[in-house]
Amino acid sequence: MNHELVNPVPIKHKFFTPGVIVLFVIAINGLVFLMGRFFFGLGAVTNLNNEYPWGLWIGVDVAAGVALAAGGFTTAALGHVMHREEYHTIVRPALLTAMLGYTFVAIGVFVDIGRWYCIWHPLIMWNGNSALFEVGICVVIYMTVLYIEFLPVVTERFIGKVNLPGLLSGLNKLVDKILRLLDHGLSKTMFVFIIAGVVLSTLHQSSLGTLMVIAGPKMHPLWQTPVLPLLFLLSAVSVGFPMVIFESLIVSRSLKLKPEMHILSRLGSMIAPLLGIYLAFKIGDMFIRETFVYLSEFTTASVMFSIEIVLGVIIPLRMFLSPKVLKAPPLLFTASALVVFGVLLNRINNFIVAYTPPYSTESYFPSIGEISVTVGFIAILVLAYRFLVMNFPVISMPGKQTAQPTKYTIRGVEK
Amino acid sequence: MKKILAILLVLIFMGEINAQQSPGKDHSELNINCKTCHTCDVPTKDEPCLVVCPREKIATIYQKPEQTPELIVIDQLKDRYNPVYFSHKIHAQMSIMSGGCENCHHYNTSGPILKCNNCHQSSRQREDISIPDLKGAYHRQCMDCHREWSHETGCNTCHSPINDLKESEKNDFKKQLKGKDHPPVTEPTKIVYETNFEGGKLVTFYYDDHINNFKLKCNQCHARESCTRCHDVNHISSDKLILVKEKKSLEEHHKKCFNCHKENDCAKCHLDKQLEPFNHKQRTGWALNKPHSYLSCVSCHGSKQPYKKLDNQCVSCHKGWKKENFKHSVTGLRLDKIHSELSCEDCHTGKDYSVKPGCNGCHENYVYPNQKPGRLVGK
Amino acid sequence: MSGKSRREFLKKSITAGAIATGLSSSTLKAGPLNILSPDRMGVLVDTTVCVGCRNCEWACKDAHNLHAGNLDSYEDRKILETKRRPDHTALTVVNEYPRGKYSNLPIDVKVQCMHCDHPACVSACIVGAFSKQENGSVIWDTDMCIGCRYCMAACPFQIPAFEYDKALDPLIMKCDFCFDRTKEGNLPACVNICPVEALTYGPRTELIKVARKRIKRNPDRYIDHVFGELEVGGTSWMYLASKDFKELDFPDLGKNPAPGVSESIQHGIFAYFVPPVSLYVLLGGIMWITKRRKELGTEEKI
Repeated sequence: MNHELVNPVPIKHKFFTPGVIVLFVIAINGLVFLMGRFFFGLGAVTNLNNEYPWGLWIGVDVAAGVALAAGGFTTAALGHVMHREEYHTIVRPALLTAMLGYTFVAIGVFVDIGRWYCIWHPLIMWNGNSALFEVGICVVIYMTVLYIEFLPVVTERFIGKVNLPGLLSGLNKLVDKILRLLDHGLSKTMFVFIIAGVVLSTLHQSSLGTLMVIAGPKMHPLWQTPVLPLLFLLSAVSVGFPMVIFESLIVSRSLKLKPEMHILSRLGSMIAPLLGIYLAFKIGDMFIRETFVYLSEFTTASVMFSIEIVLGVIIPLRMFLSPKVLKAPPLLFTASALVVFGVLLNRINNFIVAYTPPYSTESYFPSIGEISVTVGFIAILVLAYRFLVMNFPVISMPGKQTAQPTKYTIRGVEK
Repeated sequence: MKKILAILLVLIFMGEINAQQSPGKDHSELNINCKTCHTCDVPTKDEPCLVVCPREKIATIYQKPEQTPELIVIDQLKDRYNPVYFSHKIHAQMSIMSGGCENCHHYNTSGPILKCNNCHQSSRQREDISIPDLKGAYHRQCMDCHREWSHETGCNTCHSPINDLKESEKNDFKKQLKGKDHPPVTEPTKIVYETNFEGGKLVTFYYDDHINNFKLKCNQCHARESCTRCHDVNHISSDKLILVKEKKSLEEHHKKCFNCHKENDCAKCHLDKQLEPFNHKQRTGWALNKPHSYLSCVSCHGSKQPYKKLDNQCVSCHKGWKKENFKHSVTGLRLDKIHSELSCEDCHTGKDYSVKPGCNGCHENYVYPNQKPGRLVGK
Repeated sequence: MSGKSRREFLKKSITAGAIATGLSSSTLKAGPLNILSPDRMGVLVDTTVCVGCRNCEWACKDAHNLHAGNLDSYEDRKILETKRRPDHTALTVVNEYPRGKYSNLPIDVKVQCMHCDHPACVSACIVGAFSKQENGSVIWDTDMCIGCRYCMAACPFQIPAFEYDKALDPLIMKCDFCFDRTKEGNLPACVNICPVEALTYGPRTELIKVARKRIKRNPDRYIDHVFGELEVGGTSWMYLASKDFKELDFPDLGKNPAPGVSESIQHGIFAYFVPPVSLYVLLGGIMWITKRRKELGTEEKI
């Protein structure tokens, strides 16, 4: 047990680099188009119409966003529920990704819905039959849970270091006290939120799949199946760890840290069985419903489905089975990126490619505005992540004892 | 229009309508199957158990178009539109080609002509929605054809907005229609179709044979034919009558023929030369003389196609004929006393009634019909 | 680890589970109004009777305060050369199809919301703004709508339209079966104006009888299919036609209600909250056991 030697600290690094400036440009470009959406309506910026009511923003910002934030609950389940403490160092980065991911999912929804000022309606107007309602409510609760789970990071950062500017400095003591109270309370009840987070995630990850079931024959039979919720859940579970590896390796590269290969390799070794189960259900479903006949046609749907399965599932599955891949950062990164790409493509396929309305005159392709906003959001997310890991103890550094050892690991569970 | 567009029968809402619209005292004598109108076996006056809407061809009032009103003024929407002037007579003449009076008067019994609103209610919000309301019924009658004819469906095509029409113009309609008839439809004797069928390019259709000899009714072939059958619907030549070549599928083309003719016998109609008119004697060896010429084919051959060849034994059809009860006078010849005592075969040797009877059995140098065994009588 | 702490743990877990799911437990009851009255009304559209005059389009706009223009302008038949769909400017449109190679007359088909008996939009709407009313109308409450357009994705007939060009207060629009008119005992505007009564308004059960009777009496005129009698579990608007509905651009839908599968999945996952609560308890159990095992392991080590 060497985990005491590895502790989360704010990473010291220059914030602005050429890459970050590029991200800023992308983000501002997205925000400009976003202004267009709010001043001139959805029609002015998007290619959405009565035939294609949902496009890139729902497919990527919301559906893929939720799926790729699955690292939060899968690592929480692994680290806290299963008590595999060796993985604790990756729990916080995954938690931060999930928190930021869900925040941007919520913003994505806010941007996409036509009457954004009514976004609070589902909180008091309930429709238990609606999969979207269930997704919405679960996302709201889960987001709250994620923020609560992140609170100890905040308390840990500020306890004993509260230093409010100017006049407010008189309140320093009070704030410090509140933080300590909060920290104490959270450490007792955190396990409640951790389990709730896992349960809520399984619920809405699967309900996200139920969303398109009601579209029935409008959806291409390669994807339309009553087991969609299960496939969505399984794919979310299997993309959780690859996403953690993917971003951990990017962060190490970007912040000039040594990749934590001993943890990532072990994490990687768990991906293959999860991917295998997902693939088995996906293929099994295809054979039970005999939809493989559509693969013999050469259409956008069949090509996209093949790419999704081969590039996004089968190839990374084979890669994760090889010990060589698990040990080599570039190969591990490639394999993880492929899974992430596969799930991203799967969500795009489910919500955009598979959707063919009965009276479609031309097929949908996202507008420059839609792409700009989506890419802009991703850029902002990356920037926010960068900012937070530089200012809060999220990423663990080996051997550095910069904070109290037991303060921040897991609340309430171990003492 | 109210007076004329009449509809008959039915009477689901019996009560008063039934009392008012009896199909006639002796309608049981009419050649109509009781089940056409009644659902029960023994209809009574109180419980006539009439079917909702037979739509059978039970119109029995066949007026000639010339006997019908020339012009009908429909002015129920006085407050919004000028009246619609409906040229009834010409429409009646036109509809001869297309099902006759029942084309519009689709519910006539043998009683007086019914008004549309006897069955079709004037309110669209109503209990019984099984038949259209009055507005719908009127418009369907007119627009079904007129939209094909003019491609126009706007209200103003028929209803001119009020104040658009001067009083004098209204009288013009009456004047215009006075004594005006639809030109008589000429009936051809034969039509020779040139087809591109390899086996035989010419098909000769004897129109008069089908009407006079085969006793077909006009509407057995000309069912629901519209103006555009003869008039150019695209108004390329407005006055000239042209026979519009109908675009039809192979099946459609032959359908009417196949109602009677065998389907797989192409060479019967498709020939390299024109066909001779139908001649029963030539074709079958049996001259179709009176009274058999009055009959339709099916009355002897039965309705089953193709027709069976009949033998020339009278008893094949006239089952009840025996020596004892046969009245020879039905053949047009009343036998004199002596001959009536002979047996049939004495003159009709070999029981072959298709050939001339022989007198040689008893007489020398007698030849029928120079010498007759009796007296000719009118048949 | 004492028995006490174990009990405490379980107690906490259960309370938390109840809190986490308790919020949505009442959603099971909170469904939108979805009445399937035996007396619900409907409309039978006889496409063999329709003459394509488009008066219904005018009447519909007139009744819904949309820009209707002059009735005479609807006589223009050029517009029928392109296929149109209902949108926020016209809640119903008439499309024209060739009757066949051998006829000059077209077939005209009025398109509007079918007012399903088991509406996908009612099931899908996130805030339950849609409702199926007792008289058969499927209507919605604009004030509740958040503009998520899930109803559009769900509708098997691609009917709800959205005002994409409005930045503020964009609305979902579709035929409302003239709910405001029928409420007061009037006919829907389109039914009222139709010159040939191609649209027959009446109780749905009655309309099916009428439709069957028409088919029986005129087997040459109609194909033996009442579209909407069984499609997606039945619709309030039903159609008669002279040729296959597929050729008239009707979608080929099964007899199962559109929201059937999704609702049973949804209710399966949430069957009285047994599955989520059990999962919660299960995870809590695993967490407790793994923790205890670790503690024992540490103790042994020490």
